[in-house]
Amino acid sequence: MPFNHKPQKFNASINTVEIGCGDKAITLGGEKTFPFYTFDAPLENAPKIGVEISDMGLEGAPAGVVAYYGEGASYAEMAKKAAAMEGADFVCLKLEGGDPNGENKSIDELIEVVKEVGEAIDVPLVVEGCKNVEKDSELLPKVAEALQGKNVLILSAREENYKAVGASAGLAYQQKVGAESAVDINLAKQLNVVTTQLGVAPKSIVMNVGSAAVGYGFEYVVSTMDRIKAAALSQGDAMLQMPIITPVADECWSVKEAMASEADMPAWGPAEERGIKMEIATAAAVLASGSDAVLLKHPQSVATISKMIKELA
Amino acid sequence: MLINRIFNGNDAVYGLTEGAVDNAIAQYGADKAISFPNTAYCLPCYYAVTGVKVKTLGELKEALGVVKSLMTRNHELDDALMSGVATALCAEFIEVLKFIDGANPYEEPCYGHLSDAIIRELGVPLVTGDIPGVAVILGSAPTAQEGVNLIKSYQAQGILVTLVGGIIDQCEEVGFKTGYGLRVVPLGKDVTSVIHVVSVAIRAALIFGNVTPGDAGALLAYTSQRVPAFVNAFKPIDDVILAAGAGAIKLGFPVISNETENIAEVPGALIQQLDTAAMNATSLEARGIKIKVTKIDIPVAFASAFEGEIVRRGDMQVEFDGSRVDCFELVKSRDLSEVEDHKIELIGPDFDEFEVGSKHSIGYVVEVAGKSMQPDFEPVFERKFHSYINCIEGIMHTGQRDMIRIRVSKETFNAGFRAKHLGEVLYAKIKNEFEAVVDKCQVKIYTNPEDCTKLRHELAIPAFDQRDERLETLTDESVDVYYSCIMCQAFSPSHVCVVTPERLGLCGAVSWLDAKATNELDPAGPCQVITKERVIDESLGAYEDVNEAVENFSHGALNKVTLYSIMQDPMTSCGCFECICGIEPFSNGVIIANREYSGMTPLGMTFPELASMTGGGVQTPGFMGHGKHFIASKKFMKAEGGIERIVWMPKELKDTVAERLNATAKELYGIENFTDMIGDETIATDPETLVTFLTEKGHPALSMEPMM
Amino acid sequence: MALNGIQIFKLTPKKNCKECGCPTCMAFSMKVAQGAMDISACPHMSQEAIDSLSEATAPPMKTIKVGVGENEYSLGGETVLYRHEKTFVSRTRYAVSVCSCMDDAEADAALEAAKVVDYDRIGERMHVELINVNYAGNGTDKYVELVKKAAACDRTLVLSCTDVEAAKAALEVCKAAKPILNGADASNYAEMNAVATAAGVVLGVRGKDINELYDTVAAIEKLGNKNLVIDTTMPTIKETYAATVQSRRAAIKDGDRTFGYPSIVNLAAVAADDTYIQTALASTFTMKYGSIIVMSAMTYADALPLYGLRQNVFTDPQKPMKVEPGIYQINGADENSLCLTTVDFALTYFVVSGELERSGVPCNLVISDAGGLSVLTAWAAGKLSSTSVSEFIKANVEPKVKCRKLIIPGKVAVLKGDIEAKLPGWEVIVAPREAVDLVKFLKELTA
Repeated sequence: MPFNHKPQKFNASINTVEIGCGDKAITLGGEKTFPFYTFDAPLENAPKIGVEISDMGLEGAPAGVVAYYGEGASYAEMAKKAAAMEGADFVCLKLEGGDPNGENKSIDELIEVVKEVGEAIDVPLVVEGCKNVEKDSELLPKVAEALQGKNVLILSAREENYKAVGASAGLAYQQKVGAESAVDINLAKQLNVVTTQLGVAPKSIVMNVGSAAVGYGFEYVVSTMDRIKAAALSQGDAMLQMPIITPVADECWSVKEAMASEADMPAWGPAEERGIKMEIATAAAVLASGSDAVLLKHPQSVATISKMIKELA
Repeated sequence: MLINRIFNGNDAVYGLTEGAVDNAIAQYGADKAISFPNTAYCLPCYYAVTGVKVKTLGELKEALGVVKSLMTRNHELDDALMSGVATALCAEFIEVLKFIDGANPYEEPCYGHLSDAIIRELGVPLVTGDIPGVAVILGSAPTAQEGVNLIKSYQAQGILVTLVGGIIDQCEEVGFKTGYGLRVVPLGKDVTSVIHVVSVAIRAALIFGNVTPGDAGALLAYTSQRVPAFVNAFKPIDDVILAAGAGAIKLGFPVISNETENIAEVPGALIQQLDTAAMNATSLEARGIKIKVTKIDIPVAFASAFEGEIVRRGDMQVEFDGSRVDCFELVKSRDLSEVEDHKIELIGPDFDEFEVGSKHSIGYVVEVAGKSMQPDFEPVFERKFHSYINCIEGIMHTGQRDMIRIRVSKETFNAGFRAKHLGEVLYAKIKNEFEAVVDKCQVKIYTNPEDCTKLRHELAIPAFDQRDERLETLTDESVDVYYSCIMCQAFSPSHVCVVTPERLGLCGAVSWLDAKATNELDPAGPCQVITKERVIDESLGAYEDVNEAVENFSHGALNKVTLYSIMQDPMTSCGCFECICGIEPFSNGVIIANREYSGMTPLGMTFPELASMTGGGVQTPGFMGHGKHFIASKKFMKAEGGIERIVWMPKELKDTVAERLNATAKELYGIENFTDMIGDETIATDPETLVTFLTEKGHPALSMEPMM
Repeated sequence: MALNGIQIFKLTPKKNCKECGCPTCMAFSMKVAQGAMDISACPHMSQEAIDSLSEATAPPMKTIKVGVGENEYSLGGETVLYRHEKTFVSRTRYAVSVCSCMDDAEADAALEAAKVVDYDRIGERMHVELINVNYAGNGTDKYVELVKKAAACDRTLVLSCTDVEAAKAALEVCKAAKPILNGADASNYAEMNAVATAAGVVLGVRGKDINELYDTVAAIEKLGNKNLVIDTTMPTIKETYAATVQSRRAAIKDGDRTFGYPSIVNLAAVAADDTYIQTALASTFTMKYGSIIVMSAMTYADALPLYGLRQNVFTDPQKPMKVEPGIYQINGADENSLCLTTVDFALTYFVVSGELERSGVPCNLVISDAGGLSVLTAWAAGKLSSTSVSEFIKANVEPKVKCRKLIIPGKVAVLKGDIEAKLPGWEVIVAPREAVDLVKFLKELTA
């Protein structure tokens, strides 16, 4: 008896969400299968890669990243180079300097950066706040306003500030809203429910269901994503059918495996290589769990993950 | 009378509008373009109601015909309200004519038309509740100062205030500053300028409510549910103002007025308030606006970091000790009219009248009122008092109900902490955490020993007794719905608890009342309503609706569960069960082990071994996790014959549940001292010895139908 | 369909004879139902009952053992496709590949490099467990020499060799260490099967596509050999992924036992020249159903993420990872440095220690036994209490550390007073509720 192929067909699919405008616009989601299960049904839209740049410039960046952008590059130059990186689909600007516990840059100062970056590139743009919920509830509405008409994705609306971020990005300025929850399927669903109750269209929402570097509680990320995709496809749960975007670089470059210097850990070899592989392994793992987009930093990681997606899609 | 006046006012405005439009056409021609500045919505109100964009005078004339069609004259309230809408649209037409040829009809301090950009900016805080409401003040207050005081009261609450007519001059008269930045926006001195705030509400519906232009039903639903606006109209109210007010009411905005002549109250919509100072409270209550409490007004810190502090005798300024003298804490729900929000009353001496280190009585009653408040929530709130009061720096609280003890440290006393501050903390926390159900809250603190004794016995204890009785009589049959609880899914992904009155969550921490309150307070949260309408088998506790809910909340992992059987589709466990019950085949009964018990059971398995196969949201027929409280329930494995099946429990657990279990056994089977028949670890930890013991005692399980 | 404990119990003799090692027949039945014991452990069960039970309780996927002694590994035996459904039982094993096409120096260097990665992470040894020895068809002697060298590395071998004679010769020198003979294909399976069976080793089966692979496995099963692994490596990455996922899914979801064997994914073959893409794919196949992953090389840069991922993915969701209780000195802490305490839940430990490292403040992180639960869960379960903390500190910290400042997690601020009462001389300070706020908190505290 020959092998009996039993494709797993679902009546439901992941929502498609378009980011950006014109020829360079990208579509996240749309899949009707588990990650890269092309033997069940063709993949609608291959996962996308966003290249992260920051309002903090190249501070603390690994040598390979600094070399790619060139020391002293302006925000516009960095944005252009990020957009041109081999394998990049979009650019993600992080406004980490806004953190009141860090640089505490003013909103006006950050909006200047946002405008400079927005004007410099024509690829889709994702803007990530400073992660302080109070500051983000003021900052992100201004970002959404400043980028009107560009159809950007704003990261993130969280339980504490989804009203401010959702209402401004999703309603007032018709951008796309990133809904970020701690690694838990029910919290993710709950946030989607309340955000849509606010009036934000489900098809304007992209989820960030939390992330971790591999080795750092990554099993929770795996199980949360596995369960979300299963509920979205086999249960047809409309409140979990939003595509998923996962910030990978942030988590990976801050763990000991990537940060410890070669002097401290001679056996481990060069730190940058460790960071790159941490980023690659984590990105591959979140894609295998169903993420529809990843945010990466290092040109080598971007090239590798892009190659892997092409091979598997 | 009221309806006729509205019709009259509407007719008058319509006449004026028609004249004005005709004049304008005569002057500029029908092709003349008309528009408000900085909006993409042409005439926003007309566009939203009809879906038609009016761009020229000629089109405006046509639109007037549409408006006329709204002006039906049946003597019904609804006709009157539609005429109100027609009046508002006429006002918009009159206003747009003022802007012909790019004219700038409004001058400082008036704003007139507001741009789309301002609405986008305002919309966000309106949606988040940072601007909790929008007040429209129309006409002249009895005195300028009263008018300004009213504005200030709204301003202090973060409410956006718009001004129309005489009140604008009154502000100037007393030198009160206005402006968009101060969230006090004078619109214009003509009554028609009120349309500019209506335009804000309507564009908010289009932008933030995704309302399709022309879908008048959705528009009105959005403005009445989501735009927290209201009108304060000062007398005199003429027919035109009344007609405009009818428009506001149709949008869902109540009108509060001090007019008494030729007017009638319409409950919830047209309300009289003669006292200008009370207009704020009346308006907020009418529109259901809740003001967030942002800070707790006490002289020491409030943080969870202080929760574990201990105030030692030597550091103590004063102590209240319910074990020695009469003390109590109580939440009571009252009617809205009985509660004055944020009123904190101290009845009796304050802390500084007590000797250092002395012991006293205290009683505090937190009275809450709200449209969705239910007496069932009282104990849920009350249980939080312990944590609230402990979070105050230098205050220690233990116990609950009438067995509380509170210590105030010298340092905290010296910082100025007094009795009323307890009230401030309770007020602020209750208002914040239970915002969904508490509209108003007041606190009474009693420190006279006589008052405490009297109220403890006449108010508090009867209330506690009543609650206990309610719990006792609450059965699965007596309620219409159950609740799901999925708080544990973080580590037990497919587990769902079905919480019923007689079967609380298996962790022992979530009762049906808790679940009900959680659902009410956080409707999208972990506790959801489960109906129980489609019975499959009453004695098993199997329902189609329950099965569907379980499938939904377990994301498909589980598709059926029974409420009362341990053998057939038993309820799953997350792993936080207090107890595990498992079938003991040799005695034809079940044994129960609790988490604290570390020894062997007659099943040949310890609690951890039992736990490893019962947890994780997996159905294991013959085994089930549950709370301690459930053991004495009449629903305990009812399908297999109930508590008569219990043959063994650890001694400590047996002692804990004995009283209630024996009572149930007596009631159900007429067995006296049932626990004497139940084995424990001092009697047997293997099945053979256990069966010998049970046989000696004549345990009923031995002769029951086989379980498998 | 698996049987539950009650159904199994009905078939037992119900004698509570304890000869199986369990106190009661009920306990035994529950263990069998969980897959923790084999039904044959009961000496009193009728053959009929055993037969019917073995079929019903047999797992959908075989557990295959390779290697001996310290280098023995269980592969497969999975019962679910997703870890949240129950747990994954046999972790992915990593192999490094050498080839008879390499010259001696190259092969020596590769074998030496394979031994470099060897470290401990939360009580688990992390190293390259297997060596894949590939035969390039360039002479049996050369291959046997290479196999000998590889065998000397104290690793279990995978002999990737489709040449029957070479395989036979290679097994002669290494069969005692129970390698895998990965070499049966559609053309040679009968001979290869004979070689593997004679040597008593696991046979690896391959195919040019998934259908051929399936047919070959079926043919070998027909010959009576069920001691197999399946090599799901195909000509392209896409086909390899498809074959690996589909075979596992067929076994577990569709109950197709022909594919109920562990898999080998050879990245050194399918992505030969790109070490970065190998890392990416190794990660992907650790997530999705690779039992053995063969790579060209394993450096620390590869190992740190991959072994971390593996440790996470193969954690039992019901049994959280725990770190050893003790005093962890961070940022060069000494006996005068601050003490902080938290639970032994591995994730909590990693998050907290990471933040402490970022703060740059020298501190002693005191981990007491809290049953591997997170802070609030441990507190609720009574495993993190003022008693547990104070007793641990008295016994383990007071003798070694002079500092008497103890920082406790913000979520258990409620313990402060009790800990102070039980630890005279200590100042107890409450930390923020979330670890991310620790950096700021510590900087302010020590400013």
